[in-house]
Amino acid sequence: MFNIRDELQCYVTCISDSGLLPLIGVVLLAATLMFGLYLKSTDTKNRLISLVLGQLSILAAIALIIHAMNCSQMLSLEIYMAYVILSTSIILLLPRVYYKVLIKRYKARPITEIMDWPQEFVDELDIKATVYYYDSAVPGAFASGKAIFLSIGMLELTDTPELKAILAHEVWHLRHNNKTPILRQLALMSFTGNHSQDELEILADRFAEKTVGKAALESARAKLV
Amino acid sequence: MVKLDRINLSNEGLTKFFSPIESQIMQVLWENEELTTSMITEKTDIPLSSVAGTLDRLVKAGYANRELDKSGNKVRYIYSASDSMDNTANHITQKVLDSLVDTFGKVAIENFHTYNKKK
Repeated sequence: MFNIRDELQCYVTCISDSGLLPLIGVVLLAATLMFGLYLKSTDTKNRLISLVLGQLSILAAIALIIHAMNCSQMLSLEIYMAYVILSTSIILLLPRVYYKVLIKRYKARPITEIMDWPQEFVDELDIKATVYYYDSAVPGAFASGKAIFLSIGMLELTDTPELKAILAHEVWHLRHNNKTPILRQLALMSFTGNHSQDELEILADRFAEKTVGKAALESARAKLV
Repeated sequence: MVKLDRINLSNEGLTKFFSPIESQIMQVLWENEELTTSMITEKTDIPLSSVAGTLDRLVKAGYANRELDKSGNKVRYIYSASDSMDNTANHITQKVLDSLVDTFGKVAIENFHTYNKKK
C-alpha cells in the first residue's frame, strides 16, 4: 500500500545517508532560481531559456534522488516521471495526428472528389497538404497538420480568386505550424507565444496578398465579415 | 435545434414549432421545388450568416434535403423540402397528439371527441 508518511521517511533516510544532499540542494536551488527568472523576465528568449533550464534542473534533481534511493518506495517519483513522459509525448504527437481526428469529426472528403483546381493550387504553393471539403452551409476554412478544410458554404460563397486567397492564407498557417513544432509547443507551455492570434492572421493575410493579390484577398475578407 | 420537442404555444403560426428563421426558410422551401442558398437568402431576406447555420440544422433534423450540384468550376447546394407542407403538418400533429395521449390518457382522447363534435 502507498503510504505517504513511510515514503517521505524513506526519502529522508536514503538521501541523508547517501551524502548527495548538498548536491541535490544546489540543483533544486538552481531550479528555483530559473523558475523565478522565468516568472520575472519579459523577454521571450529569456523566458524560454529559463523555463527549459528550470525543467532540466528538476530532471537532474530527480536523477540524483533516484541514484540516492536504496529502497523501493519511489512510487511518487515513478508517477511523476510517467506524467512527464506521457504529457510530453502527447504535446509533441497531438498536432501530428489531430487533423485526422478533424477529418473524422467533420466527415471531410478530399476536395478532388468534387473539383480539381484547389488541390492543384495548394500543390503549386509547395506544401504537402490535402484539401478537404465538409458538409456545411456555414462558410468556414481552417487548417491543421497536413490538411486544409473548406466547407461547401465557403465554396458557394467565394469565386476562384477569393478562394485562392483563402487557401493561401491557410497554407501560411500550415507552414508556420509545421516549421518548428517543438519550439511552438515550448512557447505554448511557457505562455510566451511570439505572436498573438491577431498578428498570426495578419501575417497569413500578408502571404495571401503576396500570392494572389490584394483585390482577391480584400473581396474575400469583405464577404466573410 | 428544430424545436419540435419544445413547443411554444404562445407563438404565432409555424413559430410554435419552428424558430422564426426556420419557419421562414421552410415556407420558401414548400413554395418552391428547388432552391440554392443564395436564392433562399434572397427570398427570405435573411443574411447568409443566419441562414447557413439554420439550413444545416434543418437538413440534420430531416426537414430539408440538399444535394451537391457540380456545374463547371462551381459547387453549390440545391435545397428542397423533405416532405410537403401537408405531410409535415401531419407529422407534427401526430407527434403532439401522441404526447398528449401519453401524458393525459383518456382525458386527452375524450377531449378530441368533444372537439370533433364541436367542429
